[in-house]
Amino acid sequence: MSVEHSDERDGVPDGAQDGVQTSHRRSDRAAGRTGTSGTERTRVQDRRRVRWPLLGVAGLLGILLALTSVLDRSAPSLPSSTEAVADLPQPLLDEPVRCTRSDERASVDDVRRVLRPEGRITSAIVSACPRLLAGRDVVYVGEVVGDVLRRDGGAWVQVNDDAYALELGPFGAHREPLGFSSGLTVWLPDGLHEGLGAPGRHGRRGDVVRIEGLLLRTDPADGGGITVRARALEVLAPSTAVDEPLNVPLVVAALAAGLLAFLSWGWARLRARRRAL
Amino acid sequence: MSSVLRPDVDDLRIIGFYLGKVLGGLGVVMLAPVPVALALGEWNAAAALGLGAGISLSVRWLADAHLETRRTLSWAHGMVIVALAWIVGSAFAAIPMHVSGRFTSALGAYFEATSALTTTGMSVIHDLDHLETSMGLYRHLLQLAGGLGIIIVILALFSAGGSRVGTLYVSEARDERILPNVLRTSRFIARVTAAFLVASLVALVPALLNAGFAPLRALEHAVALFASSFSTGGFSLMQASMAYYHSAWVELFVMLLMFAGMLSFALHHALWSRDLREFVDHLETRTLALTGTGLLVLLSLGLVREGTYGDLAALVRKGLFTLLSAVSSTGHQVNSGETYLTDWGVLAPAAIVGAMAIGGMASSTAGGVKALRVALAFKGVVHDIRRFLLPESAVVVTSYHVGRRRILRPETARAATTVLLLFVLSFLLGTMTALITSDVDLTEALFEGVSIGANIGISIGVVEPAMSPTLQAVYIVQMILGRLEFVAVLVLFGYLLSFRRGSRVLGRVSR
Repeated sequence: MSVEHSDERDGVPDGAQDGVQTSHRRSDRAAGRTGTSGTERTRVQDRRRVRWPLLGVAGLLGILLALTSVLDRSAPSLPSSTEAVADLPQPLLDEPVRCTRSDERASVDDVRRVLRPEGRITSAIVSACPRLLAGRDVVYVGEVVGDVLRRDGGAWVQVNDDAYALELGPFGAHREPLGFSSGLTVWLPDGLHEGLGAPGRHGRRGDVVRIEGLLLRTDPADGGGITVRARALEVLAPSTAVDEPLNVPLVVAALAAGLLAFLSWGWARLRARRRAL
Repeated sequence: MSSVLRPDVDDLRIIGFYLGKVLGGLGVVMLAPVPVALALGEWNAAAALGLGAGISLSVRWLADAHLETRRTLSWAHGMVIVALAWIVGSAFAAIPMHVSGRFTSALGAYFEATSALTTTGMSVIHDLDHLETSMGLYRHLLQLAGGLGIIIVILALFSAGGSRVGTLYVSEARDERILPNVLRTSRFIARVTAAFLVASLVALVPALLNAGFAPLRALEHAVALFASSFSTGGFSLMQASMAYYHSAWVELFVMLLMFAGMLSFALHHALWSRDLREFVDHLETRTLALTGTGLLVLLSLGLVREGTYGDLAALVRKGLFTLLSAVSSTGHQVNSGETYLTDWGVLAPAAIVGAMAIGGMASSTAGGVKALRVALAFKGVVHDIRRFLLPESAVVVTSYHVGRRRILRPETARAATTVLLLFVLSFLLGTMTALITSDVDLTEALFEGVSIGANIGISIGVVEPAMSPTLQAVYIVQMILGRLEFVAVLVLFGYLLSFRRGSRVLGRVSR
């Protein structure tokens, strides 16, 4: 589909065009207004008629933005939803070092030399350089989240070591935006997973565990994924329920919106019935 | 001499009327998870979803009451409504997200809603792993609605039918009617979707139970996996995406769903009618088979050269899944995004970028340039070369099979090439903006730019909650352009421009 463009730019005034094309669907409005001054007047009126609905829509969107911003800020929030995990071992590196290209593998050995002894690995360090610690014994600390997938003589668990897991607790009770969830897959053989409490989900922080095990860059049992095969597990902080404070202004706003919707529905039905008559 | 029509109040009325219906549909999508939220005691989530639903449904019924019109939709109206459905619809869909506080800003919530509705699947949500069940369900339903097309959903639910709604259907980048009647087409799409939902639950629930999930969690994850895979959206309930399941069976069923989502609904109809011949002869099937095989070879070579996986089974499992996830535009990941950069070398990510750019089939839920356009542009080039090589008197005819044998017309090849070029421009826009606004290298910027612009959702790590608002805004534009394949959005811009510069009389429109 193509639409040819022209206007006064083509040197043809609107009025002249009206004279040619009044047979179209707006002929009723254009009829009798072939003079340039009349056309200009109508044009201004048309613009005014169109301007208000457009401004109304823009205003509605602005009000929505303001309303949702106010409701977001009005939500009650605690400084943290759980206590931070105490006595965490230091990470192996202060900042993850990224290994990006084959020819930079030499740098992996350089990084190994500056690793902090007895430090813990983090998911960020492992993702930034999976080859750095592949096949080595590691210590990893994090919160068990999601599900404990028990099967084949053990259990797969997702263990997160982000700020929600180790510092402020799950988002909801506190509303501190701390970024993505992040963690590693851990395989717990039978004997290690039986004592785990409910894993972390909405309204709950799962067990925070310290794991000692072997880091595999491509674990054949997980179809080639990065895993930690645990040998020892210690629960540093047990699973706890985390209550999210009720956002009363939000509930009131939702009820008001529901009432508005109901009234709008009734109004629409009334108008439709009147039209039918 | 002709001119662009300056829209008047009647035009706004008809646009507002249909846009109201779309927002009402979104309101129903927001309302659906509320019972789940109430049952689980997720009061804030229930209030957030209720607020969004209440506002959206109010707009829908107020539009019904005051804007109802019997005027016929024009092509321009259809295009504008569809473009606004995504732009304004995303704003309304973002209401529950914004008030949940899980996004850095209102722009972040809008990014998430756009990503869901355009089935891109990129996310900027904080702490996904502790998200309310009802909010997780909402994100997935939004993707399903977006994947099947808001318009189709609305048509199936509300429309009285008739020829005027066909305008909306075609505007939504679905230019291939499967059945003569648009309403019957949308019902067919709904039937196919329902069939796949049932099949998914039958296959995935036992697979998830076998993987160690509790029954209710298995059901929750099966529904989510269906919604995000068949819609080729790619959201997940857990940040680890597909790597969370540790199950080859789950991955296999999800691959089948992604493949089904990648197929055009016309081919679904052919398969439904047991017309295997059509499936084999279809230009897009052949194109995807050819490009897919080539890219799989490249990807495998890259992974072998880099020594990423020690054994063949792991290489095939990770490589094939990621390739299918890319080409189907789903965006499920089986490993952390950063490892594409740090553990996959150069060649394998390049193959993924190629797969993302090509995308799935036209008239499917998939994104990307689309196999049909790639094939037509390629055939157009070959056609021109043959014309130059053969004697001037020779008549060069190039044909292709899409539903039936067709002659390749110059305007068809040109249209395909134009959209292909627009996609490339969109990829470049995202890439350049990322390079300017973020501390990333070219590989990362290009990977993410293509993934966003083609509505894929595989992330290498550029998209994150703390990314710059400028980059977020550009990515939003890319997602909408990619989903609507440019035309509807460009018509909307032309329409907005015509408020100031258009003529009061009807322009001559040629097709």
